[in-house]
Amino acid sequence: MSLAFLLCLVVLFVIAAMGAPIAYAIIVGSFVYLAASGQSIGVAGKVLVDGLFQSFILLAVPLFIVAANIMNAGTISDRLLRFCIALVGRFRGGLGHVNILASLVFSGMSGSAVADAAGIGKIIIEMMTKSGHYTRGYAAAITAASATIGPIIPPSIPMVLYALVSNSSIGFLFLGGILPGLLIGLVLMLLNGWISHRRKFALEEPIALAEVPKLTFEAFPALLMPAILLYGIYGGVTTPTEAAAVAALYALILSAVFYRALKLSTFYSILVSSARSSASVGIVIGGALILNYIVASENIPNLVAQALVGLDVSPLTFLLSVNVLILLLGCVLDASTIILVIIPLFLPACRELGIDLVHFGVVAVVNCMIGLITPPYGILLFVINAVTGIPLVEIIREIWLFLAVLVFALLLLILFPGITLFLPQLFGYAG
Amino acid sequence: MNRISKPLLQLAEAVAAFMMAAMFATFILQVVIRYTARIVWIPDTFPWLEPSNFGWTLEFCLALWLWLVFWGNAFVVRDQDHVSFDILYFAVPDRVRRGFIIVTGLAIGIGLLLSIDPTWDRFKILRLKKTATLSDLFGDWIRMRDVYAIYILFLIAVPARYFWRVWQAFRSSMSEPQHTSEGRLDE
Amino acid sequence: QDKITLRMSTPASDSDQRSISLATVFGPAVEGFATYEPHYNASLVAQGSELEAISAGDLEMSIASAQELATFFPEFSIFATGYVHQDAAHQVKVFNDPLMDPFKKKVEDELGVKLLAVMYLGRRHVNLRFPRSEKNVMTPADLAGVNLRMPGSDAWQFLGKALGANPTPMAFTEVYTALQTGSVDGQDNPLPTVVDAKFYEVTKQISLTSHLVDLNYIAFSKAVWDKLTPDQQAAVQKAAEDAAENGRQAQLKKEEDLVAFLKDKGLEIYEPDLKAFREHVQAQYVGSSFAAAWPEGVLEKINALGN
Ligand code: NA
Ligand code: NA
Repeated sequence: MSLAFLLCLVVLFVIAAMGAPIAYAIIVGSFVYLAASGQSIGVAGKVLVDGLFQSFILLAVPLFIVAANIMNAGTISDRLLRFCIALVGRFRGGLGHVNILASLVFSGMSGSAVADAAGIGKIIIEMMTKSGHYTRGYAAAITAASATIGPIIPPSIPMVLYALVSNSSIGFLFLGGILPGLLIGLVLMLLNGWISHRRKFALEEPIALAEVPKLTFEAFPALLMPAILLYGIYGGVTTPTEAAAVAALYALILSAVFYRALKLSTFYSILVSSARSSASVGIVIGGALILNYIVASENIPNLVAQALVGLDVSPLTFLLSVNVLILLLGCVLDASTIILVIIPLFLPACRELGIDLVHFGVVAVVNCMIGLITPPYGILLFVINAVTGIPLVEIIREIWLFLAVLVFALLLLILFPGITLFLPQLFGYAG
Repeated sequence: MNRISKPLLQLAEAVAAFMMAAMFATFILQVVIRYTARIVWIPDTFPWLEPSNFGWTLEFCLALWLWLVFWGNAFVVRDQDHVSFDILYFAVPDRVRRGFIIVTGLAIGIGLLLSIDPTWDRFKILRLKKTATLSDLFGDWIRMRDVYAIYILFLIAVPARYFWRVWQAFRSSMSEPQHTSEGRLDE
Repeated sequence: QDKITLRMSTPASDSDQRSISLATVFGPAVEGFATYEPHYNASLVAQGSELEAISAGDLEMSIASAQELATFFPEFSIFATGYVHQDAAHQVKVFNDPLMDPFKKKVEDELGVKLLAVMYLGRRHVNLRFPRSEKNVMTPADLAGVNLRMPGSDAWQFLGKALGANPTPMAFTEVYTALQTGSVDGQDNPLPTVVDAKFYEVTKQISLTSHLVDLNYIAFSKAVWDKLTPDQQAAVQKAAEDAAENGRQAQLKKEEDLVAFLKDKGLEIYEPDLKAFREHVQAQYVGSSFAAAWPEGVLEKINALGN
């Protein structure tokens, strides 16, 4: 490691720790690196612009953001929710199960956990607290925990980011996320059932069976969306990137034409806020591209390979230690930062150890999603706090058991790569 | 100040919204063209629907994405929209936080300004470089330099914003800090 | 005196024949005065940005395609045109012929890049997911309605159309899945790429159209070159030519061997009516905007150097 690289890291971390945007901290850090290693600081901008202009798969990010925003603005979420209530509302802990099921269904349409929590999550928290059977902390905690499924089941913005830094196929990553997402849904439902029995949560008024067909009919077009997306991608109609656009269009047609719940002015503000979040994640991606340049310029992949030859680490030990590290980092960092900035540092070692990059990617994304609900810095906790006003302390008090089962599920995914790789291999993934 | 800046901000937002909408529409167009090309009678009846007339869609979307990112960060993204590590920032007393703003603001502002000239040095040669397909859309004049130029605007606008923030921190007239939350849909 | 570092950036992988030749032949040959530092998979400089990086002094070497050069200097499109080069030996003759001098000089003067040698990339063929019984590609007419994935620039799209297909631009990383699901019907690449990217797993046939005998140039920074002593310059020039020759022989052998490998994998490999393809493609270029950029008489000179 050269002095220039060390200086770069120091500057980057100091500026970032003082609260500057991660992207700008990276850019300033890279200027220090370039100047100290005798290169022109103009290289940073060139690398940044070149990378953004070339990475075709990145275009999925803004489009998935638009799709998520449209779904939250229309009444798609409400209809899905009523359908889920009809389905699982009658069991003990019913609204908790509804919460998880709704997240599972919603995850098939949206690539973002925050969108899930701020949209459908907000509505169901209100229902749960109004029913009087749940504390608001519990309602918020189960919402946060189930929202993590959003980017695990395809589509997924974090997986697009991972595909970018690891050069793996989005199609296979998406497929790899399906079973792990269902597994997480299952363990969360088991936990919710167990807690509901222990705490004796009262039963909900079941919805009359006669209502079910009507509710299903109303929700049906929304329920079709995951099918359309998956058929689009795996049936050869669209590339995964185009699927993002199709998802957004379908959501738009549903909200505006079918459900008649989207005004033109709302659509305009959706475009503005989508542009805003796309730009803010785009510049972090740019920062990651600059870091990639520095890592390559320092020949770090080769150094890692040499270091590993002497160390004799088993792939499993490596996977476990990296995951512990990511979990810890998840307590203080954003998922995007971890995926774009930290994960690339481990990829050379993964390649060297023969760890499958699709397996590693799915595990890493699941891990980062757990990080969204680990205090002190958990963006899902903040979002739910912001949209419902439930104090952070109350949410955090109830989050621990959920965290525990999520970590348990993560461990299963690490130990049994088959859970992740079964579907990709079924579709011809060779790794 | 507000009377001038507000309409300008709204204009900036409108431009960003337009780019977003254009990207969305172009992608849909691309899928539609690919799909209709398979139904033989369509390109036969409407020759302008030939896929070869729409080779530009991909690169146009990439250019829009580039402009969206830099235009957005220059004029539309607010401080609380940025991905940042804010645990320390929230934990420290007001006076220290002001210090943070001044130090980071100056580092970013001065750094980006210093990079304008060497960056432009690298973009200049692109006056020769043709885009892959954009001349089909904009005409033969367009070169890579024109596509990349938005980054220079970013390098001017962002320092201006940070110097303004540093100035406010000096006069201790900043607004309350805010957690990054709902706006973030990337995770 | 300190050794100079020659950073080379390429989108190719480390197992690519071009990468191997440079690492095993070029690197050791210049060891006395330079450290050869290769960066693969476009990890240092983005694909397609290498030439301007050399020009700005941010990189010393790259493996440049004629298509890339054509984005700066349209006349280079002649070397990326279907059925112009006939085989690997023809490429070398063309590169070393005086007809190439004005091309090389322009790149040196305006970009500050020296083209040292020509590398053989292989013959591009049409590789489809249909079995031959369903689609027998003998003439351009047989490709009508076939969605053929081609790289996303106008020149490639033009070539795809000239072949008679529906050219579809798509990122290389998505091609495998696209072939598998049918988003595209086929792709065009030399046989080694078909094998490296495992396209044979998701396709059924290869029609040996040889529509482009593809090449790359070893590109070298003029600024660095000018700082070398005449002896060192000669050593660099020879090292580049030797590496190119080594890679050429290896690639030719690989192409030959892979036919058997691919047949073994169940692909139908056959030669179409090459005359029909050649005449059709060449006719498309006549009067095109590409041909307008070619200097007078160059095409004839290239043809005269062939068989
Ligand atoms: Na999802
Ligand atoms: Na966290």
